[in-house]
Amino acid sequence: MSNSLHSSGLAQRDNLIRRLLTLPIRHLQQAVGSLGGLWRTPFTSVMTVFVLGISLALPATLHLFVKNAQQVSEQWDSASQITLFLKLSTNKKSAQNLVKRISLYTEVDEVHYISAEQALKEFKLLSGFGQSLEYLDKNPLPATLLVTPTKRFSQAQAANELLAKLKKEREVEQGKLDLEWLTRLEAIAQLIENIVIGVALLLCLSVVLIVGNTIRLAILNQKDAIAIMKLVGATDSFIQRPFLYSGMWYGIFGGILSWLAVTLLALYLTGAISQLTDLYQSNFKLQGLAISEVLLLISFAVLLGLAGSYMSVRKHIRTIEPNAD
Amino acid sequence: MISFNNVNKTYPGGFLALKKVNFSLQAGEMAFLTGHSGAGKSTLLKLISMMEKPSSGSIKVNHTELAKIKYRQIPYVRRGIGMIFQNHNLLKDRSIFENVALPLIIEGVSHKEIRKRVETALDKVHLSAKLKCYPHMLSGGEQQRVGIARAIVNKPPILLADEPTGNLDPKLSLDIISLFEEFNASGVTVLIATHDLGLIARMKYRTLTLRDGTMINDGIVDGLSTNNTQTFGVTYE
Repeated sequence: MSNSLHSSGLAQRDNLIRRLLTLPIRHLQQAVGSLGGLWRTPFTSVMTVFVLGISLALPATLHLFVKNAQQVSEQWDSASQITLFLKLSTNKKSAQNLVKRISLYTEVDEVHYISAEQALKEFKLLSGFGQSLEYLDKNPLPATLLVTPTKRFSQAQAANELLAKLKKEREVEQGKLDLEWLTRLEAIAQLIENIVIGVALLLCLSVVLIVGNTIRLAILNQKDAIAIMKLVGATDSFIQRPFLYSGMWYGIFGGILSWLAVTLLALYLTGAISQLTDLYQSNFKLQGLAISEVLLLISFAVLLGLAGSYMSVRKHIRTIEPNAD
Repeated sequence: MISFNNVNKTYPGGFLALKKVNFSLQAGEMAFLTGHSGAGKSTLLKLISMMEKPSSGSIKVNHTELAKIKYRQIPYVRRGIGMIFQNHNLLKDRSIFENVALPLIIEGVSHKEIRKRVETALDKVHLSAKLKCYPHMLSGGEQQRVGIARAIVNKPPILLADEPTGNLDPKLSLDIISLFEEFNASGVTVLIATHDLGLIARMKYRTLTLRDGTMINDGIVDGLSTNNTQTFGVTYE
């Protein structure tokens, strides 16, 4: 302290510039140094990294599940078809006219016209009433339009709005959207997503606590060294830096490990899934984690590691006081 | 450089370690602090280095009123004080070089400068050859000298030593003390706590004597006259 008092302002400025220049190098050195510290206690470090990796692998796997489930339900979206029954009074020409008008809707992807005769033919074929239907003197079935909305309007809410709009056409007697199963599916997907978020939050909390505890033990192990450093004038932030870097390394390695675990799990499941999807003649392919997701996973792990170590460092470093004995 | 004004220190539990201690050391002065075990020597050093806070009274170190120092500023006060301990307080898992370099690393001194200053400091304590050794590879006297090198490496204006010769034989003790004399000659204020009265007697330096927390003597102690040795009675083997 007094040294700086004696030196001139100019020298102090030079000092400051030099310090700013050496700061990144110093941080890098401490980061590498704390990596070495983890290396010196391999068992503890590996255990912590594994706990971290596995804890994060669970939410990551659930995320993968939700992501792939979404992919599957997107394929089902074509099923959200609107059936319009036309009034019996509607003749063929005005029906064709309606088809033209509806296909001009921006919400509509495709319109398929089924005439009353066609409907009756199909009904005879499929219902098994066959000949008995011959006794009808009049075709009781209306002409039908099958309207496929565009992808954007396939979601329950939007499809419902489209249905309301279509019902306003004067030729339409009745409209039907098989919505219930779609809303149910969406509700289930929402529930799963909420469960994923809840479980993920709990696991993240446990990650923070585990890292916090590991760092706490590391601090207590270094108690004497910390006291000595305080004696020769180290600030708390200088002492805590290596521990924060340890937290960061735990996060990095834990994140990488969880990515590996999820990838291995996906690989393991791919065989079984392709067998299943072949049976359903689906073109479903299991998607792994994208690079952006991997990076997000690792940076999130780093964030949790830092949070855990910061918690411990704040709590414990200040309480270690040097004594000369 | 160091001044105590009516300083009292009571430890939790009511033990009165220091009672109304008054003294001051000028810049560049060298003095011994003595007294039997439990007389308050360590407490006094701890108060200077801010390991403990006085219960009352004021302490000035290095032109700074310690009562005004906040927790975050304590490290900067300690950087102006070189401390030496009986048990050396070295980092066992670091080399001698790294141990001595510690105060400089903490202050953010450049690598080149650190190397230069550590070599100079180790040269002063005649340990240049042990740069790469680890503390356990050195003898007690050598470890003590490493501690001294660490205390002086950042050129603090004050040196405090707590029983620096505690475990050393008389010849080594004298070597250590002459090191302190060298630093003192270059203007450093030195305060050495010791109960090695023979050593003090040979030196003829100003001596502060504590008994049961009270400063009972302040002046040159002539250890050969029975007068002062009697003060401590049988405490000295």
